[in-house]
Amino acid sequence: MERLTIAPTGRTPAIDFDFDGGVLRLSGESYPDDVATFFGPVFTALRGFLAEPGGAIRFDIELVYFNSSSAKALMNIFQMLEAAARDGRAVTVNWRFEAGDDAMREFGEDFSEDLEDVTFNLVEGGADGAP
Amino acid sequence: MSFNLFDAEEKAIERARALGERLAEAAPECSAGFNELLEAFTRSYREQRRLVRFSDRLQGQLATVNQELERRRQEAETALARLQEAQEVLVQSEKLASLGALVAGVAHEINTPVGIAVSCASHLADATGKLKALTEQGGLGRNDFNRYLATATDTTALILANCERAAQLINSFKQVAVDRASAERRSFALDAYIQETLVSLQPKLRQGNHTVSVDCPAGLTVDGFPGALSQILTNLVMNSLQHGFDPGREGHITIAVAQPDPDTVSLTYADDGKGIPAEIMPKVFDPFFTTRRGEGGSGLGLHVVHNLAVGPLKGGITVGDAPGRGTLFTITFPRVAPAA
Repeated sequence: MERLTIAPTGRTPAIDFDFDGGVLRLSGESYPDDVATFFGPVFTALRGFLAEPGGAIRFDIELVYFNSSSAKALMNIFQMLEAAARDGRAVTVNWRFEAGDDAMREFGEDFSEDLEDVTFNLVEGGADGAP
Repeated sequence: MSFNLFDAEEKAIERARALGERLAEAAPECSAGFNELLEAFTRSYREQRRLVRFSDRLQGQLATVNQELERRRQEAETALARLQEAQEVLVQSEKLASLGALVAGVAHEINTPVGIAVSCASHLADATGKLKALTEQGGLGRNDFNRYLATATDTTALILANCERAAQLINSFKQVAVDRASAERRSFALDAYIQETLVSLQPKLRQGNHTVSVDCPAGLTVDGFPGALSQILTNLVMNSLQHGFDPGREGHITIAVAQPDPDTVSLTYADDGKGIPAEIMPKVFDPFFTTRRGEGGSGLGLHVVHNLAVGPLKGGITVGDAPGRGTLFTITFPRVAPAA
């Protein structure tokens, strides 16, 4: 499946979904003017990817700022991943945040509450901290 | 009693669970569908709680950032005010420094006639001493006396002429210095005033063999602030000397006064130096802008000129290229300065 890459802007994050490799990345800031315009194509691609059977999925998220709409979009993505995991696919989410960013840690903890079959890792580190 | 923002939702979920249990007995075929709906509602409730928490946290961060922004804005404003004060002080000290240069220039200028007067007086004293000695010895001849008379006539004429020259210099300088220091308003003949200002600059101009030609309508009287005008001319000349004329090159400065209408005076000041590069032209009136920072340039000379032209003179100043080569300043101001 074709790789989805979207360059970051001041208000939207960078997207790099390497579907064939099973590695999805989302990083930067997310407070788009129109949440549907930005996340619409992302959801469409993700839905298409999850509809097909496949191997393990790793989703790396490294956000420094996001708004409430983006939070809801993330929760929707997590539910899609959770459904895939429930169906037996190995799904790992790495929630990366800068060392000392307590808000981002707590947001990650909150998101993980609803995930049972997805492995959710809180990864504290530098801007590009390894897991 | 504890307050729960989501009390209604939680109670609704409790009631739905109870209902689900009754439904499992009464209509088991509906139970799975009902539980699915209940699960969706429960998740939605959790998401709502989460979103409210996110939103509160983000707004809290925003408020903190806004406070920080306001604090920094105030800091920046305070710093700006201090900077403006410091700038004002520097501009004043620059004015004083140029007054000092004016004094030095005039002192140098007066030195020549006074020096001649002193040596003439000394020569006359010697001759008088000799004449006196001859008279006392009784050996005074007609020729001695005639020679003495010739000497006395020559030297007294020179002493008189040079003392008059010195007095004239002091007079013109006195007026310029008083105007410069007092910033008082008065009527003055523009032509003569330009000349008087140039006198104090003569030593500096002569050093490089630079010449100044003035073309000003005779009898043009300006009612305004001569000190400001004198300071402007001094700074423009110093600017030409320091930046326009390369060492060893004789520069020519022309000052031309015209009246586009009877109430307006337009003074153009041009030199035939190397001119101002186009890229720095827009900045020359900015305070502290200088191309000679390391060599003692304060960057205030032309800034002071600009301030005086728009301030006391209530006029304006423009800078451009002189025809051929060099720099041209045009200062336009009302002949009678409006009351402040």
